[in-house]
Amino acid sequence: MIGYGLPHFPMTRASSVDDSSGVVARLIGVLGSERVHTHPLDLLVFGKDAGVTPGEAAVVVLPESTDEVAAVVRVATAAGVPVVARGAGTGLAGGAVPTSACVLVVLTRMNEIFEVDEVGRTAWVGAGLVNEALSNAVADHGLLFAPDPASQQTATIGGNVGTNAGGPHCLAEGSTIAHVLGMEVVTGDGEVMMVGGAAPDPLGYDLRGLFVGSEGTLGIVTRVLVRLVEVPPQLETMLISFVDVSDAARAVSEVIAEGVVPAALELMDGPMIEAVENFVHAGLPVGPGAVLLAEVSGHSVGVAADAALVREIAVLNGATEIRVARDEDDRALLWKGRKAAFGAIAQSAPDYYLNDTVVPRTRFVDVLDEIYAIAERYELRLLNLIHAGDGNFHPIVSYDAAEAGMTEKVIDATHEMVRAAVAAGGTLSGEHGIGIEKRDLMPEVFSADDLDAQERIRDAFDPLRLLNPGKVLPEGSRCLDRPPT
Amino acid sequence: MPGPAADVTRLAAATKRLFEDLSDESVEASAAWTVAPSTMEEAALVLRAAADARMPTRFYGGGTHMDYGYRGDFELVVTTSRLNRVVDWQPEDLTVVVEAGVPISTLEETIGERNQTAVLPEAFGRATVGGVVAAGLSGYRRFRYGPTRDRVLQVGLAAGYGRVIAGGGPVVKSSTGYGVPRLATGSFGSLGLVGWVMLKLWSRPRATASIQIDEAAAAASTYRPLAVLETSEGSFLYLGGDPQQVTAEIASVDGEVRSGLHWPIPISNRIRLEFRVPPRLLRQAIDWAQRVDAARWIAEHGVGRVEAGVDAIEPKAIQAARAWAETNGGALIVASTHDPEIDPWGTPPVSIEIQRRIKQAFDPFSICNPGIFPGGL
Ligand SMILES: Cc1cc2nc3c(=O)[nH]c(=O)nc-3n(C[C@H](O)[C@H](O)[C@H](O)COP(=O)(O)OP(=O)(O)OC[C@H]3O[C@@H](n4cnc5c(N)ncnc54)[C@H](O)[C@@H]3O)c2cc1C
Repeated sequence: MIGYGLPHFPMTRASSVDDSSGVVARLIGVLGSERVHTHPLDLLVFGKDAGVTPGEAAVVVLPESTDEVAAVVRVATAAGVPVVARGAGTGLAGGAVPTSACVLVVLTRMNEIFEVDEVGRTAWVGAGLVNEALSNAVADHGLLFAPDPASQQTATIGGNVGTNAGGPHCLAEGSTIAHVLGMEVVTGDGEVMMVGGAAPDPLGYDLRGLFVGSEGTLGIVTRVLVRLVEVPPQLETMLISFVDVSDAARAVSEVIAEGVVPAALELMDGPMIEAVENFVHAGLPVGPGAVLLAEVSGHSVGVAADAALVREIAVLNGATEIRVARDEDDRALLWKGRKAAFGAIAQSAPDYYLNDTVVPRTRFVDVLDEIYAIAERYELRLLNLIHAGDGNFHPIVSYDAAEAGMTEKVIDATHEMVRAAVAAGGTLSGEHGIGIEKRDLMPEVFSADDLDAQERIRDAFDPLRLLNPGKVLPEGSRCLDRPPT
Repeated sequence: MPGPAADVTRLAAATKRLFEDLSDESVEASAAWTVAPSTMEEAALVLRAAADARMPTRFYGGGTHMDYGYRGDFELVVTTSRLNRVVDWQPEDLTVVVEAGVPISTLEETIGERNQTAVLPEAFGRATVGGVVAAGLSGYRRFRYGPTRDRVLQVGLAAGYGRVIAGGGPVVKSSTGYGVPRLATGSFGSLGLVGWVMLKLWSRPRATASIQIDEAAAAASTYRPLAVLETSEGSFLYLGGDPQQVTAEIASVDGEVRSGLHWPIPISNRIRLEFRVPPRLLRQAIDWAQRVDAARWIAEHGVGRVEAGVDAIEPKAIQAARAWAETNGGALIVASTHDPEIDPWGTPPVSIEIQRRIKQAFDPFSICNPGIFPGGL
């Protein structure tokens, strides 16, 4: 199983809803008993995401319409019970993991595609639609949904909105935020509200922009108006090998500094390559070095020019081999290794902890060196999978949680890596979000005043703090209650 | 609502001293006080003093978009003329930290040295970075690069409650906390003073061309042009990329070609109307502009924005067009009219209650550009 590791993490145990308040009974009244789950096993399974923080729901509901979501929220909040939105639960930061007894609203049944506008290149979809299902559905129109997290076969669009998900192709296309035009949301009062829309620059504050990346703390997203992009007419995919990972990192920095923005620039280091090769045998060069998967896309003539430049820079930085995909099958083979990375890690050790942190691209090489030094100091096995083009690191520590003290050691080491990124001018998360995992690290990148401002935003949406409480902002961020007088 | 002209005697002595120290004579403003802070801390001090004295305060950048929104009387004007530094340009990372008062022209000149662009509006006049971000304006090249708000990575705000805050992350990709930069972009100074921003940059294409085409539809044969504009002076396709690519694309399109990017002259009629509609409704908005004999109009294909300039128009005509735009999920904005019968924004968004609470949270005494924002916030 992917990622359900770290059983020794401190458990956030939710006591079950005291149904003297009648919440469960009322939820059954709204949804029927088949779509309201209180069995301990369900509560346990739905109490986790793909990350390392376990929790437990009090009651799990599976609404099928916006009205049902609204009714569920009204029932819960009327009783003062928190509501946690959940998509596929592939999140890695604990965003969908309950921190207290709550109604867990699972949106996977709201997976309809309501409308595709091929000319305007937009689609209205249910928040529970699986990311890849959307791209598959619009492929015949020559369109695709650009955000492509490695979890795209399971993660939902609503979850992508929740975390502002990224993916290899977000280098040129931007993260989820650049691909969501509007949404229908259920607010903390159980009202249905539209934010954003197909027209550019809607009047008023950009609430759409606030919802993206808000991890279920501002409302529950029920439908999403997404932007679709043309499938590029031409692609060139290259797998470039280096003897030393720093050479690869330097090549990446130079490509970006040249102003070329490839469609994707993904880097795997030696240990990562080895794990992948043992798992899928994609023909990657096993050894101490690194591979860079570079893809350029666009107009055929421009693609040839950009690809030539990428190769030239790679060679100048010591590339030892460049494999260029000849056709679509070949391209799929080159991507196979990258896409199998998570499976490979899961297979290679009993437990792993994947982190997400991001640095300015000019500091990429230095921070990578530091991350290695930290792993060495803690004597941990480290694998690196990097969205190199945007300086987005995923250091992965693989270990055995059964070993005494190991989990604590892994957490300490990982926090040190995040701090190294922050010290180099980076920030906590590039794409996985804050959730529970990094909540208490927020003061490392924001001042008390900055956090207070974010609390004010949250208050405007959810004054009662019943929407996914305990996530994103650390306890006590609202430090400036007194207005100036 | 803003009160009558400032009763300066009510200001505390310390406040008067502060305002005098920071006084800015370079801007002609009708308010009792015009001040120019040169740091974020000073800006916050000014706003705290203004909040204490309940002084309606207007923010002033280049003064190019002061005619947006509802009118009001202001007692204090805060300019960004001393927040005018390009603080940290990282050409190799394609980012820049820049203070609000830096004119777009200055920024583009600076980063142009390494052939980079912030993709801000092309016809900028005296517009400043802060003004453009606060007004949420994008250039025509948004067709390829997306709107300005996608490139504001970080923002520094002197909030209406008198504190300095920063939001976002100093990197090109972040999921770290709420999208404060998104909130500030397009907020028209209603939450506080946008004092600085970090912007994501792009390299300027190595070759560019502007082609006058017969019909905007001809652009469909090119992949991601910079912009496709249909205007009262003709239709234009803007290309950018590798030189050989641009040459190849030019060959695939009929029309008169000029090298470089030649953007339309900005609309400067007395009344400027701006449709924001779903892109598929662009044609209807253009038809309307032609029907009302707009002196000039510029329509952005694939974006859904049509700007039209008229010298006079019946309020009824605006109401009808606005009703159409709003029914279709869009808006019709009217700028530069002093006709009190014409509503500049139209119907506020359905989320107005939450918008009001956000305003209240950041500007509890309603001193920051009070009343000019949609819904009269
Ligand atoms: C193998 C693997 C690979 C991954 N690769 C990537 C990657 O490349 N890039 C990347 O960005 N992430 C990646 N992830 C992380 C994860 O897939 C993303 O964060 C994804 O966006 C989560 O979607 P989900 O549907 O699983 O959401 P969940 O995990 O269920 O929820 C995530 C957050 O969003 C909120 N949320 C969910 N649905 C809604 C809704 N409808 N309304 C409001 N809030 C909601 C939740 O409360 C929670 O805070 C990966 C995870 C795994 C396991």
